[in-house]
Amino acid sequence: MDQTLIRKLVSADEEYLRDESKKIGHAETISFPETHEQVCQIMAQLYETGTSVTVQGSRTGLAAAAVPFGGHVLNMSRMDKVLSMRAEDDRFYITVQPGVILQKLNKAIAARSFDTSSWDEASQEVYQSFLKAPVQMFTPDPTESTAAIGGMVACNASGARSYHYGATRRHIQAVRAVLANGQTISLRRGEIFAKGLELTIPTEQGDTITVQLPSYKMPNCKNASGYYCCEDMDALDLFIGSDGTLAVLTEIELSLLPVPALTWGVSCFFQKESQAAFYTKLARQIKQGIVAIEYFDPCALDILRRQKAESTAFAGLPFLPDSFGCAVYTELHCDTEEQAYELLEALSQYCAAAGGDPDMTWVASSDSDRDMLHFFRHAVPESVNMQVERTKHTYPEITKVGGDLAVPDEYFEELLELYDSTLKEEGLQHAAWGHIGDNHIHVNILPRDMDEYSRGKALLAKWAGEVSRMGGAVSAEHGVGKLKAPFLEVMYGTEYIREMAALKAAFDPRWMLGRGNLFAPQEEVE
Amino acid sequence: MERIKKGALWVFCEVQENQLLPVGLQLLGRAKTLAEESNRPLYAVVLGKISKDSVKLLHASGAHEVICSVGSAFDEKLEQPYADSLIRLSEQFEPDILLVGATPFGRAFAPRVAAALGTGLTADCTELSIDAESGLLLQTRPAFGGNMMATIRTATSRPQMATVRPGVLPLPEPMEVSDREPITIEDDGQIGLVKLLKETAISRGADISQSKIIVAAGRGIGQKKNLKLVQALADKLGGQVGASRPLVDMGFCPYSSQIGQTGYSVAPDLLICCGISGAVQHLAGIGGAKTVIAINTDPKAPIFAVADYKIVGDCVSVLEHLLKALDEN
Amino acid sequence: MKIIVCMKQVPAAATASIDPLTKTIVRTGRNAVTNPFDLYALQTALDIKSGVGGSVTAITMGIPAAQKVLQDAISRGADDGAILSDRAFAGADTLATSYALSLGINKLGGADLIVCGKMAVDGDTAQIGPELAQHLGISHVSDVSEILEMAPDHLVVRRVWDDVEQELYLPLPALITVAKGQNLPQLPTIPGMLRGRAAQIPTFTAEDLQADIARCGLKGSPTQVVRTFTPPVRGEAQTIDGNEAQQAGQLVQIIREVLHGAD
Repeated sequence: MDQTLIRKLVSADEEYLRDESKKIGHAETISFPETHEQVCQIMAQLYETGTSVTVQGSRTGLAAAAVPFGGHVLNMSRMDKVLSMRAEDDRFYITVQPGVILQKLNKAIAARSFDTSSWDEASQEVYQSFLKAPVQMFTPDPTESTAAIGGMVACNASGARSYHYGATRRHIQAVRAVLANGQTISLRRGEIFAKGLELTIPTEQGDTITVQLPSYKMPNCKNASGYYCCEDMDALDLFIGSDGTLAVLTEIELSLLPVPALTWGVSCFFQKESQAAFYTKLARQIKQGIVAIEYFDPCALDILRRQKAESTAFAGLPFLPDSFGCAVYTELHCDTEEQAYELLEALSQYCAAAGGDPDMTWVASSDSDRDMLHFFRHAVPESVNMQVERTKHTYPEITKVGGDLAVPDEYFEELLELYDSTLKEEGLQHAAWGHIGDNHIHVNILPRDMDEYSRGKALLAKWAGEVSRMGGAVSAEHGVGKLKAPFLEVMYGTEYIREMAALKAAFDPRWMLGRGNLFAPQEEVE
Repeated sequence: MERIKKGALWVFCEVQENQLLPVGLQLLGRAKTLAEESNRPLYAVVLGKISKDSVKLLHASGAHEVICSVGSAFDEKLEQPYADSLIRLSEQFEPDILLVGATPFGRAFAPRVAAALGTGLTADCTELSIDAESGLLLQTRPAFGGNMMATIRTATSRPQMATVRPGVLPLPEPMEVSDREPITIEDDGQIGLVKLLKETAISRGADISQSKIIVAAGRGIGQKKNLKLVQALADKLGGQVGASRPLVDMGFCPYSSQIGQTGYSVAPDLLICCGISGAVQHLAGIGGAKTVIAINTDPKAPIFAVADYKIVGDCVSVLEHLLKALDEN
Repeated sequence: MKIIVCMKQVPAAATASIDPLTKTIVRTGRNAVTNPFDLYALQTALDIKSGVGGSVTAITMGIPAAQKVLQDAISRGADDGAILSDRAFAGADTLATSYALSLGINKLGGADLIVCGKMAVDGDTAQIGPELAQHLGISHVSDVSEILEMAPDHLVVRRVWDDVEQELYLPLPALITVAKGQNLPQLPTIPGMLRGRAAQIPTFTAEDLQADIARCGLKGSPTQVVRTFTPPVRGEAQTIDGNEAQQAGQLVQIIREVLHGAD
């Protein structure tokens, strides 16, 4: 066995104790495996001592899932190769290592340029037809495009276009993974199913693991909270969104889709939030061609106005007249211009019906115009982060208090009212934006001092309770990680959490993987 | 006037605040070889008055004659009077080749000359040579969005016109020459309809095209905040920050830091390229760099083809480590 | 004021890559788009129109499909457009292009002001504007970054060059080329998009313009491409291996050698 894979974590490795949640953890050792085999070795070695293992991708997560709580940091950033390509029924599938960065993958797919030198013959052959085929895309589009694929699978990441294309889950075809004891499993969609709530998975070493799936009913909305479980489910789905608590992914097969002929963006502006919600309701009736519906609340637009005025880097943002209260961005994927213009006409009518002015809309039909609207969208979280960073100078403990809650359709208006009334009550500065099409808005509280920080956190907990009552999800896309583990308990209750813990224990009896993720500390004791 | 022969090679030498701009001398240096190869006389053409020393410098840089057109129309640097004068001179003395420095002013007025004379003009050449067979000027520039080079010639019309960016060609070593009078031509041209109301000099600090050490960043730098690392390294080495066009287009960096065909050409002793893939558009601007260190995640990035040292990796973390290592030393 | 804006259709991505199979240029952006610089020109024209009144007409030369840039211009607020399209125009360099454009502008009855983008991202020559002004026999100012004053018979403009900033009085008729400046091209609205799509755009052929065929297209282009090639490469770069700390250590050595060697 190669004993040099695991080394002591030293002060120069400090960055590996953090992620985008800004939480700082602690760990004793670290490794940077490059192959599946190395991961097996590392896990087998750590299993002997039952050492905790925190798996990291590119540490862009917001729920602290990649922040270590002691033990070993298994950093996957050097497992960044695209391994092979496969075609089936005119669809292309690529197998990647978990450390591959989304942005780089997207670039390689768009430019149709992969380093194929280590690919097998079959993949090389498929690659030749890939080069001639229409340009493809991998649709999951989390805002943070430097996310690692492994991290995206671990939290079942989603983005704006998940409104139409679904979250990462829908685009994962197979995984290979290493269990806590160093054994390995290989799962392909459509091959292994649960019988009712009983699931049996063979390891590549010839053992089998049989587990009882938790009996809770998952929320009927966008969801990245806890294990994916339902009767007769595909075994693969259990590992997607499992927050690094069941196994270490080493190979992931992704499915690609052809890029649509036209991608257009339409921004409509409204004076009142209720108008934006009504427009969204109308736009949701369109069943074909709308792939994203995104919202920016008045506070978010105000932050952009300030940024544009203050910072030259944001001077390129489009001008926002004062009459623009809030905005809804709709993205269209169409095969023909005919269809695109039809959708424009429909959206124009809906905009007017909701009380907006079609003459006060933005349409981006070219790459550069769309880049402008994407810049607009990304400028919101970036500006908010900048503002929080400034506060941090005075109060280093303060972080952004960000909600990632979603509810079923019928509760969305109630949720908006809840946000509105409670934020007003508390007098907290905030900005909200996100996936209104999925009833999923990120409300971000921007605390200005420690008192506001703790009141913000309390409010978030209160919302989690209310959302659970509405049958919603406490984390719709960021994953539960460590930060939202207490909310998961609120959402499912202790009994179901115990069922989840039993499931985890079947795969990871020494409770090594992802310590602190999903399970709030008191549940950790087995 | 009999000193001016037809069919000569002309280099327009721009004057800024009574000083010759280096690009004119750079062009003369290259044109000297072209003139020898094609057996043409080489003239430096200046609009407006210049000092004796400047005339001597032009001679020392290779000009056989210095044509100095003087008149009140050249007091202000505006497109039309300069173009009109050069058009008249060209019509009268029929140069075979006319080279102009691709300064903003050169780029603004030279096309008028080409249009009036009904001839071709090749912008931003990176290489000039004489075709041994035809004696025509071969003008090479990046083409097709920047990933190919194209060699262009102007076969049927005269003069053969081309512009070259400042810094692309080296400054020639001045030769020993004796003082010679320029050929002065009185030009009674009019100033034109455009009036200069106000002119202000802008101080921009040191010019990147003159910088000896440049740390340049490209798209691979990822986020804007990472530019701090680039700036820190440049500060530490006593150099300047350069940027590829995408970063300037995104508003991450000012245009004054843009390196490439549409930005500045640079010729530093040391160029450290961080996350620059190396589109030909960009490579066109770094041909003069002596030592190039390139850091890029893509092992196939074209920047590596022009680098002396390469690191395949994330430039942000390499920069972080490099800064640390420099601190420790 | 009658304003004409010259526009060009260019490949969507300014940077292209080489197809590993065919060794030909791959344009990663799939659609052709309006030259980004021309959008600044258009916005300048629209701003002047809203300041002093008048009309904005967009003109382009290209294959019939290039009328898309005119639809784009109309969707962003231009009143109308005209396309110069003829096989005889194909293969034009800047001289032949500016000649054809000058005829097209005359065909439209001329203009008080012609606005061009600083350059096109595919050709990068920045020559069309000045050449066009010369053909039309009017004044021009290149690289305008701001319109300081507008009136029916003149403009006062600012331009910024490397180290000098000028304020210029420009009597009309005249031509300006516009730098990426302080104006921000506005996005089309939904009704604008529908207007652009419905617009009837006239096509002018060489014959319509009574053009001298010898001055058009490839035939009228004095510059000829003799050959194209991928740029030469230096000797292989030396790879700096190791982990990042080791790489940094080696870099320090190299930098030190280069800088001290250069003293």
